[in-house]
Amino acid sequence: MTASTPEPLLALSGVNTFYGQAQVHFDLSITVARGHIVCLLGGNASGKSTTMKIILGLVKPRSGDVTFDGASLIGLTTPQIVRRGIASVPEARRLFADMSVRENILMGAFVRNDRDAVAQDLERMLTLFPKLGQRLSQRAGSLSGGEQQMVAMARALMSRPRMIVMDEPTMGLSPLYVDRVLELIRTINQEGVSVFMVEQNASLALEIAHEAYVLQTGKIVLSGPARALKDDPRVRDAYLGGSEAA
Amino acid sequence: MPSWSFARASSRSGTASRPDPTAGAGAPAAFLSTRGSSVSSWLDYTINGLIVGNVYALVAVGLALIFGVSRLINFAQGSIYLVGAYIGWVAVVQLHTPLPLTIIVVAAAAAIVGLIIERFGLRPLQNSVRIAPLLATIGISFVLDQLVMLTFSPNPRALPSQLPDVRFQVGGGTIGPLDLLIAGVGLTSALLLFVFLRYSKLGWAVRAASQDRDAAMQMGVDVNRVNQAVFGIAAALGGVSGMLVGMYYNQIDTAMSLQATLKGVVAEVVGGAGNVPGAVIGSLLLGLVESYGVAVFGTSYRNLFAFLLLVVVLVLRPNGLFASARQAPPEPLTGTFIAPSRPVRIPRWALAVAAAIFAILPFFPVSFYVLQTLINAWLLGMLALSLTLVAGTMGQVSLGHAALLAIGAYTSALLSLTLNVPVGLAVIGGGLMSAALGTLLISPSFRLRGHYVSIATLAIGEIVSLVILNWESVTRGPIGISGIPPLSLFGYDLISPSSIYWFSFVVMAVLALLQGRLLTSHLGRSFRAIRDDDIAARAYGLSLNRYKSLAFIFGGFAAGVSGGIAAHLYSYINHETFNTQQSILALTVVILGGLGNVVGAIVGAVALVGLPEVFRIAAEYRILIYGIVLLLLVRFRPQGLLGTI
Repeated sequence: MTASTPEPLLALSGVNTFYGQAQVHFDLSITVARGHIVCLLGGNASGKSTTMKIILGLVKPRSGDVTFDGASLIGLTTPQIVRRGIASVPEARRLFADMSVRENILMGAFVRNDRDAVAQDLERMLTLFPKLGQRLSQRAGSLSGGEQQMVAMARALMSRPRMIVMDEPTMGLSPLYVDRVLELIRTINQEGVSVFMVEQNASLALEIAHEAYVLQTGKIVLSGPARALKDDPRVRDAYLGGSEAA
Repeated sequence: MPSWSFARASSRSGTASRPDPTAGAGAPAAFLSTRGSSVSSWLDYTINGLIVGNVYALVAVGLALIFGVSRLINFAQGSIYLVGAYIGWVAVVQLHTPLPLTIIVVAAAAAIVGLIIERFGLRPLQNSVRIAPLLATIGISFVLDQLVMLTFSPNPRALPSQLPDVRFQVGGGTIGPLDLLIAGVGLTSALLLFVFLRYSKLGWAVRAASQDRDAAMQMGVDVNRVNQAVFGIAAALGGVSGMLVGMYYNQIDTAMSLQATLKGVVAEVVGGAGNVPGAVIGSLLLGLVESYGVAVFGTSYRNLFAFLLLVVVLVLRPNGLFASARQAPPEPLTGTFIAPSRPVRIPRWALAVAAAIFAILPFFPVSFYVLQTLINAWLLGMLALSLTLVAGTMGQVSLGHAALLAIGAYTSALLSLTLNVPVGLAVIGGGLMSAALGTLLISPSFRLRGHYVSIATLAIGEIVSLVILNWESVTRGPIGISGIPPLSLFGYDLISPSSIYWFSFVVMAVLALLQGRLLTSHLGRSFRAIRDDDIAARAYGLSLNRYKSLAFIFGGFAAGVSGGIAAHLYSYINHETFNTQQSILALTVVILGGLGNVVGAIVGAVALVGLPEVFRIAAEYRILIYGIVLLLLVRFRPQGLLGTI
């Protein structure tokens, strides 16, 4: 499909997913090249979030394979997948509301055992997200949505992942924070972390992504370099629920 | 049922055993005589309340940890407490271990029991319907209690405290070494738990998982390990608590289990389910409320205060006094309450043939024993019809259904005895009273959902039993009602086994037919809509209160009639005739038959009453079998024999 880089970091191939009788994914294939930002676009109920859950092992596909760095993730539990180097920024952030901001960020390092390096990384997060410095001992649930998004991203980075998957990172944020979040995703990516993000906001996502896929009722209807898709009228069509074939 | 209580005699020096744990039989004289308002006794009551609260806290904290992580109310917690008490007995009396070693042995052994429960009882149910783990813990609790009873016999045993029997004057009150030990264990456990949750990696995982299970998994937290840790800790605390209570009274018996579960659940819910510090405060509050209540009204009111406190909290602050931010609800929210299934279709003619065979059965030379067994089955069948409507069709899993039996039985007995109402009418009166009063009593739980309904109905059931015990002018209190006239219809006494058989069979058949009609009506569909998704049902304009009331009115009538008939058959009833065991038996019947399934309820009743007779299973093994049946059903056939409707 996209294929210009050598061996991809993450690859979904021929994934079919069902919720009971209802089929969610039809022969889904997606690849994320090393060091790239890949974005999955789609409207409501197109199967975007389920794709995230498949990668993280929260939902099991009925058939097809998911490989990370050449090894299959099928059959692994979510914690095992996280230990392979995938971190998650879940939809609606899902912070541990009653724990402090510091504790939330440190929870991201749960899979690590190198305490000194973890402490250093916490410092690094505070330079990356300077605002969180004053908030460290505050309850995470008391932060604003934008601040919570910062915590969620810092938390994900704390595991020193090779890849971060993000579910609608800009959802529900003020325009100011949307820009900030996109800029941060770019920064994170420049430090060598691959990013797979699910977004509804196509124009913003395509600004920073290298490649993009458009998902419609469980099928990939469009894919390619983000620059090419940005001007493709079919992206609009896909969103407005245009013809099935697109 | 005999229950342990913490009533403390004013003097305990040299006594081998402390006031007998029979909240039912009234307070010990020595205790009542201290009733009064002198400052010293009030201080004593306060100390007693706090000590008791400490014991409750050890149970409640475990419940809170488990609820936090898995949204489960562990009804087996009291059984672990019971196991702890008996392990303590083995250690002290048979192995002669010193006290510190006894505590360690009990904590370790109880923790192992907790780990086994988690691994083999609950982990296999991770992906099953919401109600499954709750039912499993009920089944586990029956199995554990019965195993303890079969191993150690139901007779109470003495559990010596190994501490010197002296008392110190403190202010105006007195305090003994055992009080200090209990306070010490309570405080130490709280401190250790705090350090664990705050500073250890596993403790962080527990906290994270209890706030957002999915997100914790995405941080690499292995939720199974967290569950294991939590069950191990909860069981260790619960076991030690049971041992301490045994020492406090110098007596242990198998009835401790259910009471401990109830008190722990009350304390936990009062504090805010899943909130660990809340559970501690709720426990101390419960201890004090009970202690002061006993001071003013007497020992037999102790439990009444506990359950009233629970109901008040559930109604006014359903999330507890110290509700924490609620955990993000796990998906999916709806449609998973009962195991979905296609009910087994039974053709009408087959039902008619079966009914006809049962109807003409007394014409054949069957023994009195067979008829007697089937009469019991029909009575249980009526209760099961009631429960399958309320729990299956309406989705309100009631654990206090025996209370409806009791209301019907007392009403019918009293109507016929004191007002000379003909028995046939009195039974109907019992049904109506059960429908009205039962619905009224249960109405505070209408705004609750899921497991909370089960707790509330359990508490309401206990309250009914305690009111019957204490309202002596009407119910004759602990003496019970004797000389209840036999069943009669239009002036003819129904005394022969076959006439009683026919009577109960016809009543049950009529109730079943009515309920079958109800299920296919618009009303039945509304019930099921509310069960499957109450928010959606409300959005379509269904009034939850009205439909829940209707379900309880219909169900209350069937259960009340069953209780009424039973009263006239037994000729003697008291506040313990209809107890929680019957509520749980009815639930097992209903699940066996398939939740909501009318024919299933009757088949389940015949099976659970009849099969133990067929196989001549000794009475003491029956409850064990019921518990195992419940566990196996939940695990392997959650939709029951005939399927849920």
